[in-house]
Amino acid sequence: MARVPRGNNWLREHATGTWLILLVLFVASVPLLPFGNNYVIAIVVRALLFIALGQAWNVIAGIGGQMSLGHGVFFGIGAYATGLLFNDLGLTPWIGAWAAAVLAAFVALIIGIITFRLRGIYFALATVVISLAFEKLSRYYSAFTGGDTGLAIHFRGTAPAVMQWREPQAFLWITLVVVVVYFLITRWLLKGDFGLSLQAVRDDEEAAASAGVNVYRTKILAFLLSAVMTSLAGTLYLQFYSSIDPGSAFGLSQAIQIQLPALIGGLATAGGPVIGGVIMIVLSEVTNIVSGKMDWPGVDVLAYGLVLLFIVFKAPQGVIGLITSRRPPRKAPDSMATKGVQ
Amino acid sequence: MLQALISGILVGSVYGLFSMGFSLAFGVMRIVNFAHGELVMIGMFVGLVVANNLGVDPLLAMPLAVVIVAAVSAFLYLFVFQRFVGRATLQQLLAAIAVALILQTAAALIFGPSAHAVRSNWGSQYLLVGPIFLSYAQLAAFGISLACVAAVEIVLRGTSWGKSIRAIADDPEAAQLVGLNAHFINVSAFAGAGALAGIAGSVLVSYYPVSPHVGFALMPIALIATVLGGLGSVGGAFIGGLICGVVQQVTSVLWTSALQDVPLYALLILLLAFRPYGLFGRKSAH
Repeated sequence: MARVPRGNNWLREHATGTWLILLVLFVASVPLLPFGNNYVIAIVVRALLFIALGQAWNVIAGIGGQMSLGHGVFFGIGAYATGLLFNDLGLTPWIGAWAAAVLAAFVALIIGIITFRLRGIYFALATVVISLAFEKLSRYYSAFTGGDTGLAIHFRGTAPAVMQWREPQAFLWITLVVVVVYFLITRWLLKGDFGLSLQAVRDDEEAAASAGVNVYRTKILAFLLSAVMTSLAGTLYLQFYSSIDPGSAFGLSQAIQIQLPALIGGLATAGGPVIGGVIMIVLSEVTNIVSGKMDWPGVDVLAYGLVLLFIVFKAPQGVIGLITSRRPPRKAPDSMATKGVQ
Repeated sequence: MLQALISGILVGSVYGLFSMGFSLAFGVMRIVNFAHGELVMIGMFVGLVVANNLGVDPLLAMPLAVVIVAAVSAFLYLFVFQRFVGRATLQQLLAAIAVALILQTAAALIFGPSAHAVRSNWGSQYLLVGPIFLSYAQLAAFGISLACVAAVEIVLRGTSWGKSIRAIADDPEAAQLVGLNAHFINVSAFAGAGALAGIAGSVLVSYYPVSPHVGFALMPIALIATVLGGLGSVGGAFIGGLICGVVQQVTSVLWTSALQDVPLYALLILLLAFRPYGLFGRKSAH
């Protein structure tokens, strides 16, 4: 998929880490700043959730080149499994999150075994219908999942033992830690042995196989990692919003929201989902205000659609691609095309 | 069960109708038009507006629906899909998803997010043949669909335009070499796919409520019918649509109507994984 040429990526090359650490410290200290009221903090948490989901999807779609449109499945499992374990069995989400992640990995294993027989667009289409099936099933088995109205976790006020707080500060610090860890995972994948095999598989499966890479196993392992990361972010989403429903868990528009940060920022880069997530939160806040003022529900989806169209046509390498292509109007390498049918 | 089979075939004939349009774009141009369900939705809204404002049957809106949806479809080809012809890429899929989202939201802004049914028509009347209930609306849909399949097959096999389409589907480069105007053929094929979606929409709205999100319910069926019928086989997509209808209805009887699509999804994944050239397609079409 989108290949950012090595050595042409200012984020990777010049970021001595210093200013990244400063950035993290700044975000962590938002609650202490004068403008850091709960409204602002909640926006930052939502941005961090966008980023974490984008980072998780970027592992398989960007670095692995397998364009899953079914990541809502793992997001939904993370939210639903954690919530059900807590509501029905009283299991704290601190443990439930990992139980959900194991379940997500198991489901990813089954999906991967079947669908990694397929390539490119056929893999994408198969993952679409899998998430549609999950949505239908979660609506139907309502005694278990809460059906259309969804699942609300039993709220106990500020109770750190069960990952609940009235104020959003704690969520900011937790999601920030997750985003930093995911950033480091992405960096490791971009440079480490496993990640290099994965990128080799993405760029040319036959060549990777003849160089001794186990293509099938590499793809499945990356898919499992991506599913676990998505599931953990799903748990955080549930704890932060206190509820989840089939549409916002498994729906196609959710799947697209998971993809957009990486697509906007730049696929297969560590900084891409971060930049994309920030743009997403701005987009989402602006459209929220517009839809509130003008009574236009769903205008955020319209904005997502337009942005997606713009990215596909004008910036297939995302914002990072726009920044790094210093040489003026060079046609971006149409690397996605190599994953086509032909 | 006999009832399920017969209703399945009646419902499925309309699925087959719009699946043929999807198959035309997929088979000929290798374009996965994820927004094809939205084209049907536009046809349904045209039928709704005409029926509710003029008080006539939505079927009478069909010519208007055909013109509008064919125009939208040709427009989409020219401005979005043209650059992707011949390569079913992930970028193309993302672009089509974006188009689907934009059309959905536009419909929601115009008509509101809820579902609308057509007022006062004969869609709820039934014909009783022995133990079998037959809805008039679905019988009409079946008749229209059969007529369309016949027309499409005749056009594809009998006219020079249809033969050009099939030639391009078989081998685009050779077709260009012998002087076929691929650009015109592609635009008109997309318009034709839109026309079929428009017919299906105005037929469907007489018994199926329309909402901005109806496209995402219909598109997977078109995809499944196309894969069932075999890529590049337009007639096969119609048969695939019939199979989808029957599977849905049988699932409703044996399990529940809420999950009538789930076996179809499973079927699609198994087909893609194990028999990607479909039940009626040739291996070369893949």
